[in-house]
Amino acid sequence: MAISVKVMRRPEAGRTSYMRATLKGMSLTFRHMVRPTKVTLEYPEEQPDLHPRWRGTHRMEVHADGRPKCVACGLCPTVCPANCIRLVGGEDDQGNRYPIVYEIDEFRCIFCGMCQEVCPVEAIHVGQHFENAEYTRDRFVYDLDRLMEQDHPVTLLWDPSDPRSE
Amino acid sequence: MTDTVTLTIDGHEVTVPKGTSLLHAAETLGTEVPHYCYHPGLTAPAQCRICLVEVEGAPKLQPSCVTMAQDGQVVHTDSPAAKRMRQGVLEFYLVNHPLDCPICDMSGECMLQDYVFDEGREKGRSREPKRVFGRDDFGGDVLYYGDRCVMCTRCVRFMDEVARDSRLTVVERGSRAVIDTFFDRGLEGASFAGNVVDICPVGALVSKDFLHKARAWDLDHTPSVCPNCSQGCNIELHTRDNLVQRLKPRENQEVNGHWMCDYGRANYEWMNRPGRLEEPAAGRGAKRRRVDWKSALEHLFVQLRAGVGAEVKVVGSAAASNEALAALAAVAGEAGEVSSRVFRSPRAADEVPLPGFPLLVRRHDLAPNVDGAGLLGFERTGDDEAKGGLEDVAGHDGVLFVLGDELADRNEDFGAAAGLYVYLGAFDSPAARNADYVLPVTTFAEEEGSFVNAQGRVQRYRQGLQSPGSARPAWLVLGALAAALGGHGTPATAADVFAGLVAAHAAFAGLTWDALGDRGAALRTEAVHG
Ligand code: SF4
Ligand code: SF4
Ligand code: SF4
Ligand code: SF4
Repeated sequence: MAISVKVMRRPEAGRTSYMRATLKGMSLTFRHMVRPTKVTLEYPEEQPDLHPRWRGTHRMEVHADGRPKCVACGLCPTVCPANCIRLVGGEDDQGNRYPIVYEIDEFRCIFCGMCQEVCPVEAIHVGQHFENAEYTRDRFVYDLDRLMEQDHPVTLLWDPSDPRSE
Repeated sequence: MTDTVTLTIDGHEVTVPKGTSLLHAAETLGTEVPHYCYHPGLTAPAQCRICLVEVEGAPKLQPSCVTMAQDGQVVHTDSPAAKRMRQGVLEFYLVNHPLDCPICDMSGECMLQDYVFDEGREKGRSREPKRVFGRDDFGGDVLYYGDRCVMCTRCVRFMDEVARDSRLTVVERGSRAVIDTFFDRGLEGASFAGNVVDICPVGALVSKDFLHKARAWDLDHTPSVCPNCSQGCNIELHTRDNLVQRLKPRENQEVNGHWMCDYGRANYEWMNRPGRLEEPAAGRGAKRRRVDWKSALEHLFVQLRAGVGAEVKVVGSAAASNEALAALAAVAGEAGEVSSRVFRSPRAADEVPLPGFPLLVRRHDLAPNVDGAGLLGFERTGDDEAKGGLEDVAGHDGVLFVLGDELADRNEDFGAAAGLYVYLGAFDSPAARNADYVLPVTTFAEEEGSFVNAQGRVQRYRQGLQSPGSARPAWLVLGALAAALGGHGTPATAADVFAGLVAAHAAFAGLTWDALGDRGAALRTEAVHG
């Protein structure tokens, strides 16, 4: 395709007035002064309303007796594109497969939510949580206990009444 | 009469020897017909009913594992009828199968998982509660999860036909059928029972040692040779995180069939032993200091050159590769008059044959390369526990080389009188205190090389682990030294060293590295027996 060039014609400098544009802008400013529309939040007094699919730091679900729901199947470390989950499986005293070591490096995590999607027992979840400040970097590797302690709401990756989006 | 038959499978014509089953004939075309009960090392009872294929002219579908190929047959493995049947059979298998893949050790290498994923129904239609057996300890290294069993009876037939030690059987009938041991006599003490875990097509029989240790898809597989006895069963090292996680047999009909012994299978933790020698060091006792490879080898070269003519004694090892031993012999030969070349190696009192596959015997010699060491001019010394026998070496006043023998029964005086003492090993030892050079070398799992097994078969093994620090294969270190002393080119690969070895040792004549491949090659018979 041939390239065509459109030549723009502008009035010469000094032969045009900006008065109209300035007044237009100022009128908008005055309008906001008398009838403001607020887009910012008074955080942290006010908390944002997160979308149900908003994905933040993880949370491990636990059984009623306090055991982690994870069965150390190894799917989340396999699917994780950031390779940030470390898992060592083992057997507990009741003969159940469970994670002896389960760690997520939240710095490396890209919050894709695939770990939650792949988990066959709905154990690991990404969460509705973003306040993660720490004093040291190593605190961002969450171990199993830390993941189990989290109590923030978890992300809803799909609509429970329509899991296949049909 | 010809001894081949020509038939058509899925529209492709194929010629196979007479007596080939349809399943194998399809395999030559690259078509895998699903099967559970059939295993190439066992008889075929044709009971799992999943290998049924359509044969034109036959009234019903035929089990391909026992139907022999015939001239002019037209076979369809993928016709709608065959597929529908397989789907039906799979659905029956799943009526009671727990589908606990997330916690099942077989997940990722399970034939039920694969077949259902390929051809199974998307959803089961059974609404009945599943029967539950729980798990049973079969003794030895074997655990049985009855719920997962597909009743193929491979395990029962292995114990009956190959191990000839009937310890497993089917009890009960129909959906209550399970595999069980006889009363309280389990697999404890059996010598080949670990193989039932390999041949179980699903996760019903699992290894206690491997339980929950790693996922099948996380393991790297390296073709290798079992280093635990001189049979040299072909195996695979399954590694993860730079650790050997388990050993699995690799088929080789000349050596071990499909099998390996439990003794060999269980002995792999030593490959993961920590506390290795990582950097070359020079100087005796308190004067020892780290050096780099270049200066270590240069100084050693100069010293060997200067000392030419001295009496040389060499301690090798039956766990070292042919390449390392040949290079060691070459270096010693260049350095002076070699008065002894010895190795020590443990010996078991008994041999353990596998009755159903008599080629496979757990041998007396519990080291992989006793025969290779013998062919390369090393003589056995010491007792059956690999102790003693080094009295004259300990006080030797000439040049002394030690390769791969940890000298565990020797004290700090070893080699005190030696003019030059070179210790090549993976681990430090009190008896290495007087060594002028301590050179870190790789273990069997961290290098390439070859062994000669008890049948006179030269077999290659490959590198499965990364070596720690700057440890190098012994053949590389010694090959470079021998090349410098002898004034020829430095070998860069194990293949180069092997080529030199073949040229120097008549016993190996005619062999090439490529010809060894992954199955090995036999030495000429006169070399072994004469
Ligand atoms: S959210 Fe994604 S990147 Fe983060 S741990 Fe899960 S799978 Fe890995
Ligand atoms: S996918 Fe779920 S069950 Fe599997 S290891 Fe991850 S958290 Fe555990
Ligand atoms: S335990 Fe395994 S090998 Fe034995 S019958 Fe069951 S599925 Fe077959
Ligand atoms: S027979 Fe020997 S080589 Fe074979 S598995 Fe046993 S120990 Fe290893």
